[in-house]
Amino acid sequence: MKNYFQNIWQSITTLLIGLGITIKHMFKARKGNVTLQYPEEKWPRPERNIGFDPKNYNIIRSKLHVDIDDCIGCRKCERACPVGCIKIDALKVPKETDLGLTSSGTTKRLLISRFDIDMTECMFCNLCTYPCPEDCIFMTGGPNSEKQPLDYEYSQYDRSRLIFKFANVTKNDIRRITTAPPVQQEIL
Amino acid sequence: MGLVHAEEMTLNIGPQHPSTHGVLRLKVKTDGEIISEITPVIGYLHRCFEKHCENLSYEQVIPFTDRCDYIAAMNNSFGYVLAVEKLMDIQVPERVEYIRVIMAEYNRIASHLLALGTFGLDVGAYTPFLYMFRDRERILDLFEITCGARLLYNYMWVGGVSHDLPLGFMEASYRFLDEFEKNINEYHNILSYNKIFIERSADVGIMPKDVAIDYGVTGPNLRGSGVKWDLRKDEPYSIYNRFKFDVPVGTGIMGSVGDCWDRYWVRAEEMQESIKIIRQALDKIPREGNVHEALPKKVRPPKGSIYFRTESPRGDLGYYIISDGTPTPLRVKMRSPAFTALSALSEIATGWMLSDVLVILGSLDIVLGEIDR
Ligand code: SF4
Ligand code: SF4
Repeated sequence: MKNYFQNIWQSITTLLIGLGITIKHMFKARKGNVTLQYPEEKWPRPERNIGFDPKNYNIIRSKLHVDIDDCIGCRKCERACPVGCIKIDALKVPKETDLGLTSSGTTKRLLISRFDIDMTECMFCNLCTYPCPEDCIFMTGGPNSEKQPLDYEYSQYDRSRLIFKFANVTKNDIRRITTAPPVQQEIL
Repeated sequence: MGLVHAEEMTLNIGPQHPSTHGVLRLKVKTDGEIISEITPVIGYLHRCFEKHCENLSYEQVIPFTDRCDYIAAMNNSFGYVLAVEKLMDIQVPERVEYIRVIMAEYNRIASHLLALGTFGLDVGAYTPFLYMFRDRERILDLFEITCGARLLYNYMWVGGVSHDLPLGFMEASYRFLDEFEKNINEYHNILSYNKIFIERSADVGIMPKDVAIDYGVTGPNLRGSGVKWDLRKDEPYSIYNRFKFDVPVGTGIMGSVGDCWDRYWVRAEEMQESIKIIRQALDKIPREGNVHEALPKKVRPPKGSIYFRTESPRGDLGYYIISDGTPTPLRVKMRSPAFTALSALSEIATGWMLSDVLVILGSLDIVLGEIDR
């Protein structure tokens, strides 16, 4: 009988001693010695020297980026994509609305209310970037480093956040612009 | 006491097995350690290539052909674009022809390096695998600076290639070829002439000439059986008739003609021939030229059909394309060389020991992506 309780007592004490040690270690843990909180903190990219400067590459395959201010909504990229992971909604606007110019001087005629690229579906064939008349859809980094720095990881906590939304107009903007009354005409 | 009733045992290898080079299941009936029947079960990697093609335009099919044989993507799209070009009657510029040949031969070396390395791995030699991957890496680097991708390139286009050669490609190529030629000797010393390796592979899994021909086996596997048949030589496509190179065949140096060692040896020798072709192409390539010159505005072949075959690292790769005059092909059928090689497995592996199956399978150099499509 005495033995029985002694056993229980021993197991409890040894367990607590063990727990104490682990707790002591928990507070002693140095910074940088624990799990890296990955998407927030990252290890630096390892040096990789293949004898060429990435700027001299012909192209690079990384993450797609769209300079939405330059996009005219022609949907050529959407049609070129074999897997259909680019989704564009371009709205017609009243004739006189001024949407501005692209950086190469083309007048924008369509309001882009949605420009989503689903990078979970993308197969990095690069077919979408060739037909673009304004060169505004491209892969980041490499020869495009000046336009957009390299982004090859883009890890997220959730799959839905891999659908990158490039359109920057708000719902209010859309309502205001598409239903703009032709007052401007009278002023002119 | 009567006779002991010896029952056959059915053994499953795969679908998840490091030596099946993909997702392949082998149903093996064994009598003791001897194989009495072997049935490959395929289809685990089926990605509806042919159905996809019915809904895509001709250009959009190219990335999908890359994904069929992901080890030699350049060669796969090469065959496809040549077929479409023939259908549309397009003449591509000289420079494009040379660039394509250089890329295809580089990819052939890369593919053979992987085949030899993993074959060694199947037999139990780990070090050569790492050495071969080191050299393969340098070829992939060359591809990376040219077209941004390391494995699936989408580089060959109908009527041209996506990008011209980048600055420094030539010098890097010559440098690589010089060093690689020396490394091949190193491989021979570390793997090809190794006694253990020879014991495991010579005189094992013999594929006689007539069996190879009956099953439609092509490429290095057919040449390993002693048949001198190479489409680059016998039915030259593109500009292969301008280059001087030999067609190595298996002669049974270490065992008998058509054994695993012969198939290995043919691949190793073919790398030498590819080096020769690349050197000649680098010397003769026109320095100027626009690689986008012959790109058609719209890829819309006239009504008709075509069957075109090329020599991929795995063998005779054919494309059968039916066009109905729209921008979408009506049908694209691919004749996969790895499929025919695998179909011969049950014939040549029967009667060998269980431990030889993976050696024989490795020597056939199959890629499941191409078999299942
Ligand atoms: S890279 Fe290819 S798959 Fe990805 S969005 Fe562009 S066209 Fe589509
Ligand atoms: S092709 Fe270029 S301009 Fe046209 S919709 Fe796409 S990104 Fe915009």
